[in-house]
Amino acid sequence: MKPVSASPLSPSVKVKLLNAGFLTSEELLQLKPLQLSKEGGLSLEEALEVQQILREGVDLPGEGGAGLGSTALELLQQEERSIVTFCSSLDAALGGGVPVGKTTELCGTPGMGKTQLCLQLCIDVQIPECFGGLGGEAVFVDTEGSLVVQRVADMAQAAVQHCCLQDQDAEQRDALKDFTTESLLGHLYLMRCHDYVELLAQVQLLPDFLVKNPKVRLLVIDSLAFPFRRHFEDLSVRTRLLSGLAQQLIRMASQHRVAVVWTNQMTSQLRGGQWELVPALGESWGHSATQRLLLHWSGGRRLASVFKSPSQSESSVAYSVTREGFRDAGPLASSPSGREQDSSSQSESKQDSSSQSGSKRPRTQEGQ
Amino acid sequence: MVVLREGMCPGLEENIVRDLRAANITTVEDLVASDSEELAQKCSLSYKALLAIRRVLLAQHTAFPVSGADLYEELLSSTAIVSTSIPSLDKLLDSGLYTGEITELSGGPGTGKSQVCFAAAVHTAHRLKQSVIYIDTTGGLSASRLLQMLQVQTDHVEEQMEALQRIRVFRVFDIFSLLGCLHTIRCGGPQQASLGAGSVKAVIVDSVSAIISPTLGGKQNEGMSLMMQVAGALKTIAKDFNVAVLVTNHVTRGAGGELQAGLGLTWSHVPRTRLLLERSRGPGPLLGSTRTATLVKSSRQPCHIKAQFDLNWGSGSEEGLPGRKRARDSSDS
Repeated sequence: MKPVSASPLSPSVKVKLLNAGFLTSEELLQLKPLQLSKEGGLSLEEALEVQQILREGVDLPGEGGAGLGSTALELLQQEERSIVTFCSSLDAALGGGVPVGKTTELCGTPGMGKTQLCLQLCIDVQIPECFGGLGGEAVFVDTEGSLVVQRVADMAQAAVQHCCLQDQDAEQRDALKDFTTESLLGHLYLMRCHDYVELLAQVQLLPDFLVKNPKVRLLVIDSLAFPFRRHFEDLSVRTRLLSGLAQQLIRMASQHRVAVVWTNQMTSQLRGGQWELVPALGESWGHSATQRLLLHWSGGRRLASVFKSPSQSESSVAYSVTREGFRDAGPLASSPSGREQDSSSQSESKQDSSSQSGSKRPRTQEGQ
Repeated sequence: MVVLREGMCPGLEENIVRDLRAANITTVEDLVASDSEELAQKCSLSYKALLAIRRVLLAQHTAFPVSGADLYEELLSSTAIVSTSIPSLDKLLDSGLYTGEITELSGGPGTGKSQVCFAAAVHTAHRLKQSVIYIDTTGGLSASRLLQMLQVQTDHVEEQMEALQRIRVFRVFDIFSLLGCLHTIRCGGPQQASLGAGSVKAVIVDSVSAIISPTLGGKQNEGMSLMMQVAGALKTIAKDFNVAVLVTNHVTRGAGGELQAGLGLTWSHVPRTRLLLERSRGPGPLLGSTRTATLVKSSRQPCHIKAQFDLNWGSGSEEGLPGRKRARDSSDS
């Protein structure tokens, strides 16, 4: 007894059907296509299409939650592991890592390490399950052209070495045989988009890709803001496109059980007589991501703040970007680490992070 | 505009429908509006049969008036108030969410709208022992957060699991799925979601603007119609099943730069009560956990009164949400 006005048909067809007096979709499905086209004033193709769309809606009651839904208890049992970031304080602030099935936004000024964190996540999602990871694959959608494959290879190598230091039993040693730099790079799918039209088209095609590759557990878009901040005279069109895009991404995250991460840029806004740095793409865009991380400088250190989250309270943690990738911040005495660190402090921070995050990680995963 | 079909009422056979159509009577309205005697002569039908059909169709398709006194009696006996479990918000809302009405929470990102929705859901499921339907459109529902809130209220694991079972979650991400979901709720009624654990007392939609705003504006002409269909469906659910409906909305900046709820003027008439949530301003990106709620539209309280509440419930504090979120000390010492 679903009303015709609530069916996903095109507006012109709907107007014709409503004028002809059809009220519910059952009435539309009861007639033969020829009868429907005569009574509704539609062409035969339109009538066939209408019936096909309505039948699809009836046959898939579970699609889009129009079925019976699930209880919160079932959802609790289905909750998945998160993707670790190799920075143990950030993992703790996020409640285990970047959550699967939700969208996360990374905002920050240039050079904060957003792309580095994205690449680290692409590596970390592939860590085998016996080491506390997800054993999945990753899709990286690149809109800026800032991906350097050599950097990914370096990070992959560091991750493999880290795991080799951790192996404790035969199962882990078995898993390590498949866990090499080559396999890490092989399970990372790269897509390049040059403008917003290509990005929108790519996101439209991604669900089919995810169905064909069910092992994908992470989707990264770096960056989402870049193509949308040019070529737009009409900002209301941009807001509409962005909100539609956000809904598509959260639907993909929820239905295909992937973690969606995208990066955003910062812009200045005049607020209360002062210029403040705020995330770009407008105020209503702030609602789109489930979780928001803000990467910023504070007193010579890089901080990551959890800015908006449904289950974690707001907090800030320090992190650093080293040759091995995204890691915990080194000891306070050392200067903010960039990629050009000298070898002594490099090995120091590597040992620190491997002893901290390595031994902590399996325990926190089990304790949750 | 209901098309005449055979079998719609006893006595309306196929040949009668055909004769009527030949005389240009295609819908129920046409039949009821026409003169029966003239029609009987034109279509060579029996006058008595035509009158009988007309009477049955009228009975099937008219609305019945109800006296004001009966309505008042019904209101007194069936309205319930669902508390949000935050005392300061309850004071603003005149003790809570009223059943049979739509209440709206609007606010910018991170102002606590979803947290208030969780608190209301947990309170209804655990304290009132009634079912809750939670329609999640942004993926913000986290079952572990619900469990955390329940763990503060009770230590018994069975009670926690029971309360979690009373919260039914639907995940919809576009407007047609939302309309289908609301339609399923209306047809299935409270029995569908109850699992024998009490009837549905609250329906929470978080957030309604994420789904509707992509359809509004530009060259699209269907957005407003779909928005009002959602409004109609929510109101029908609220009234017919005596549930409290809570929806969340985003904010936009008005002409003078002031904050106002999103979705425009048309939507502003839909909820009976509207609250606007804001952060209390603080220095730097790490703002405090207090929020300010302003009553923007209400039929029971004076407007523009404010109340503050805290998203973290410190020990002994009365003004907060149940349960401390997993807090991390700032490590930039």
